[in-house]
Amino acid sequence: MALFGSLFCRLVLGFVIVFLFLPILIVLTVSFSSSAVFAFPPPGFSLRWYASLANADSMLQAVWLSTQIAALSTAISLVLGTLCAIAITRGMIPGAKVVATFMASPLMLPGLVLGIAFLQAARDFGLRDTYSTLLIAHVVITMPFIMRTVLASLSLFDFAMVDAARMLGRSYPAALWTVLVPNILPGFVSGGLFAFIASFDNYPVSIFLVDVRTKTLPIQLLNQVEMSPDPTVAAISALLILGTIAALIVCDRLVGLKRMASI
Amino acid sequence: MSQQATALPPEAEAQHEPGYLAVSNVTKRFGAATVLDSLSLSVGRAEFVSLLGPSGCGKTTLLRLIAGLLAPDQGAIEVGGRDLTRVAAHRRNIGVVFQNYALFPHLTVAENIAYGLRAKGVPKAEQAKKVADALGLVRMEAFADRAVTALSGGQQQRIAVARAVVVEPSLLLLDEPFSALDRKLRETMQIELRHILRDLGITSIFVTHDQDEALVMSDRIAVMNEGRIEHLGTPSEVYARPKSLYTMEFVGQSSRIGGVVTGGRDGLVEIDTPFGLIRAPGHFLSGSKVVVGVRPEAIAAGEGPAGEYNTVRGTVAEVIYFGSRTLLHFRTAQDDDRLHVELNRLPDTVSPGVEMTVRWRVDDSRVFPAPAGDDR
Repeated sequence: MALFGSLFCRLVLGFVIVFLFLPILIVLTVSFSSSAVFAFPPPGFSLRWYASLANADSMLQAVWLSTQIAALSTAISLVLGTLCAIAITRGMIPGAKVVATFMASPLMLPGLVLGIAFLQAARDFGLRDTYSTLLIAHVVITMPFIMRTVLASLSLFDFAMVDAARMLGRSYPAALWTVLVPNILPGFVSGGLFAFIASFDNYPVSIFLVDVRTKTLPIQLLNQVEMSPDPTVAAISALLILGTIAALIVCDRLVGLKRMASI
Repeated sequence: MSQQATALPPEAEAQHEPGYLAVSNVTKRFGAATVLDSLSLSVGRAEFVSLLGPSGCGKTTLLRLIAGLLAPDQGAIEVGGRDLTRVAAHRRNIGVVFQNYALFPHLTVAENIAYGLRAKGVPKAEQAKKVADALGLVRMEAFADRAVTALSGGQQQRIAVARAVVVEPSLLLLDEPFSALDRKLRETMQIELRHILRDLGITSIFVTHDQDEALVMSDRIAVMNEGRIEHLGTPSEVYARPKSLYTMEFVGQSSRIGGVVTGGRDGLVEIDTPFGLIRAPGHFLSGSKVVVGVRPEAIAAGEGPAGEYNTVRGTVAEVIYFGSRTLLHFRTAQDDDRLHVELNRLPDTVSPGVEMTVRWRVDDSRVFPAPAGDDR
């Protein structure tokens, strides 16, 4: 009976893994297709869709824009979010819990609501520049991810260590850098990774803020699928998957995926 | 076996250069609360002084002020003639062993110890040698490359001590370093740490709320209460000749008998108490309300010569057996009075409810003014 139970569980696990990976496998396969339509299984294999990427200017622009917005908003959130998290855990602020919950609230609001709110707010403040509006909105989107992981890391951090470092001859900033930063690095990295991805593939908020010339990748991809559904989209997706794997390997080398997952 | 005299241990031959650490009139307030009230303390070179008091008495605040982790509102702090009052913590060269050790979990044992040496820019080769020496000092040579998170509490403490002393600080502060250890280990570590620090000749300030710890380890003890030092003295002074009722009751066990002074001569006062007339050394006006304190081990069973002894009769309320000794509690109608007697050998007849005669030397009685609000 126990043997049967364990076998059953393994079977379910196998199915779930297949279920999760199958779409990715299909996209990867289609990206090497020789056909001009999105057909599976592909009639033959070629690298023509990767080659055609070189000429897909609007697509490359979108990749570049999304990368910029994601990287910048993540960086801003990391700095601001960490400072806020330190203030919340150490600053003896009245209602610190409420503040922490509020900072994480964009995660709980539907993206649509945020998008409309940002559109309206940008108009009312006279903010015409699409790029800065997108960036500000994405800082709000990424902030909860940083807050969550950094707060969790800080709650495990004993600030007496900073005192210990100071008594051993390090100035306060140097003590933070040599003791606090290495100890909450897993929180930084996993928070940063989630934040980057949340910004990079955000659709519901961005859709309200983009214009014809400034489009983020998810929006550009959807446009492309609607207008000319060829496997260029699949090729882009395949490259993104490759990028993600590379990022995970870097993170693993940096802090170890095990430590990241435990935050 | 009778216990004639209070056994005074030989005073440690303290030849400490006085005033090495000088805390002068330091005041510290947090908001409306005055945590330290114009406190002064002078500690000699290579001396081991304990700050003993209950939580909230200001002992940890004083430690953090000396460390430079807090700034005093008033007063000055000097170490070795150097005024440190306005010097940043990291420039003071003061070592601290923290309550939970505050070891750096991302570094190995050796890297933890080397941390302060690196911060001071000690050359690599010298670092390695000093780290090895420090590990030898705390007998942890085999653990250099371990993760500190894999160590037991006692081992972590050794590393914390090694990390603090390896940089040769001018002063070592210890913030309740034994509180996380179980009792057996604590006793071993107390003696071992005392030996290490004595061998290094390092001046140490030790914060604790545990009186036994303070008695075992210190050259001198500063008993603290509400931001002031109640009594600064050697362990035997503090225990056998406490200056205040607070010190008497905080350090060790004691009997507490309330009464009114009825007269006195030749440096002795006679006090009317629920246990009868008691004599004690002191100078009080007739009619003063006082409290008499006696250490339990100073009291013996049976009558003594009237000139030298106080002899009282009471009903045993409770018998507490510890094996090597037995504690008897006597009570009177007034709940606050208590007479605690410690006997090594118990007369066979003793049990709760039995009347018994006990005695103690007049010289072993301590008289203090009754605390304000003590209406008896």
